[in-house]
Amino acid sequence: MLIVLASCYDEAARFWVENWTDGDVTLLTPEDLSKSGWRHYLGSLQDSTAVIRDQVISVEQITGVLTRLPCVFEQELLSIVETDRPYVAAEMTAFLGSWLADLSCPILNKPTPICLMGTNWRPQQWIYAASQVGMSVETHHQYISLKTEPKQAQIPSERVSVTVIGDRYIGKVDPILGNQAKKLAEFAGVELLVVHYNRPEADAHFLSADFWPDLKSSEITTAILEYFSEM
Amino acid sequence: MLTLLWGLPGDSPLYTVYQELNYLGFPTVFLDQREIAHIEISLSVGSTIAGEICTPNFKIDLNQVTGVYLRPYESRRLPIVVEAGSNSRIWQHAAAVDDALLSWVEMTSALVLNRPSAMASNNSKPYQLQKIRQAGFLVPDTLVTTDSDAVHKFWKQHGSVIYKSISSTRSKVSRLSPEHHKRLANVAWCPTQFQQYIPGQDYRVHVVGEAVFACAIASTADDYRYPGDTTDYPQLKSDILPLEIEQRCRQLASTLKLPLAGIDLRKTDDGEWYCFEVNPSPGYTFYQQETHQPISLAIAQLLTQQQPQTLGKVNSIIG
Repeated sequence: MLIVLASCYDEAARFWVENWTDGDVTLLTPEDLSKSGWRHYLGSLQDSTAVIRDQVISVEQITGVLTRLPCVFEQELLSIVETDRPYVAAEMTAFLGSWLADLSCPILNKPTPICLMGTNWRPQQWIYAASQVGMSVETHHQYISLKTEPKQAQIPSERVSVTVIGDRYIGKVDPILGNQAKKLAEFAGVELLVVHYNRPEADAHFLSADFWPDLKSSEITTAILEYFSEM
Repeated sequence: MLTLLWGLPGDSPLYTVYQELNYLGFPTVFLDQREIAHIEISLSVGSTIAGEICTPNFKIDLNQVTGVYLRPYESRRLPIVVEAGSNSRIWQHAAAVDDALLSWVEMTSALVLNRPSAMASNNSKPYQLQKIRQAGFLVPDTLVTTDSDAVHKFWKQHGSVIYKSISSTRSKVSRLSPEHHKRLANVAWCPTQFQQYIPGQDYRVHVVGEAVFACAIASTADDYRYPGDTTDYPQLKSDILPLEIEQRCRQLASTLKLPLAGIDLRKTDDGEWYCFEVNPSPGYTFYQQETHQPISLAIAQLLTQQQPQTLGKVNSIIG
């Protein structure tokens, strides 16, 4: 059973799970953590259980997890008393961080203490890391002062994306850019990464990186399933 | 060579190190968060990193900074910012200052006590406990659950069980008692952490680089930080750990990438050492005042002795 851990508002995740007929793919949302049956015995997977589709299952039945949730947001804990939501959201996030880290199945991506989806860097950190792996970058300048109005972030008029999944990449770009994207993912210690460039040619600039693959692309969802089946 | 301290002057651990650095005569600047409205930052990040911090009291080149000790509060929670409201210009400014500095401390080659990404392991206590166990310490049996039947079984198995928060939200460690029976069904709403109760002698160990300061704590309370009355008030005294445990503490701090760490240990009557938690931003002055251990001096010396690290080392840290 493949689990997609996502927000209840993540329509792309829901669309994929509901329309995928070739395999056992199930959505897990924070609301499912407010159901009796979760047992996370630290370091003892054989005794640990999860609640999936309202059924209590052994965590050993889980064959992979795709995480699309950086943390649990209080806004989706509607069944929790409003004043308790911030605390419960923090507790659920902390629980998921430990639960995911303890699983033995492949996870895209393994959680870090800062983010359930993997290495959560700020834009400046991604730029610096990109330059370290040999990508062409444009220097990111900031001047922060109450005396001057902040500049609005410039949205590039054109961008192309490369999705790295394990040891392969998907994207219509020069192979040099594809291989650089794989290097950046390796540098960041993640198996799933979406890298954005300003154009598809080999001399393109790195723009940004994130963990949000396009789940409406069958090429990407197929690659994700292949990643889990090959691991 | 310059040390940067970031936080509030009223923060005892931070200000005590500031005094030590001044006493040592080491160039030091204190970035006072109360000056948020007057803080100006320029930061340029590409294949290199460059920047400046400017306040009414100083202007520094970030590339001159070789040591950073940070204990900031969220600037958006400063009274002047809260009063202005979340739509105000100063609120945006405070958020931007925090974001720029927090990104810079993750990338700089200076020694940082401690990088936020490393401190975050404390955001999930069971996650951190997995790392503690991997470092060779015994850890208490732990169950995080929404299932009251599982709690009853765990309780019966261990006889005595405590519960505490999973996240970094500070909570009092409490022991389960018969009065909790009726309330246990409430765990269905949110995963809750239970641990085997380990009786024994508490120790707080501060690791500062290679230096280790152990403090034995005598208290009858389940959580010595929250004494029930004056008879429970903890008695602290400086102590020396067995060499093997001392080395394990250094190793644990290193594994967690925390040059400064406050490690909570308990020694059982059988001589076994359990580790419960690692505090990545320890309020060490509470212990220093009672034991007179020179922890603040060690922190100041660590900040001043550190040379800029090589790029390879930095990369391994930000990775």
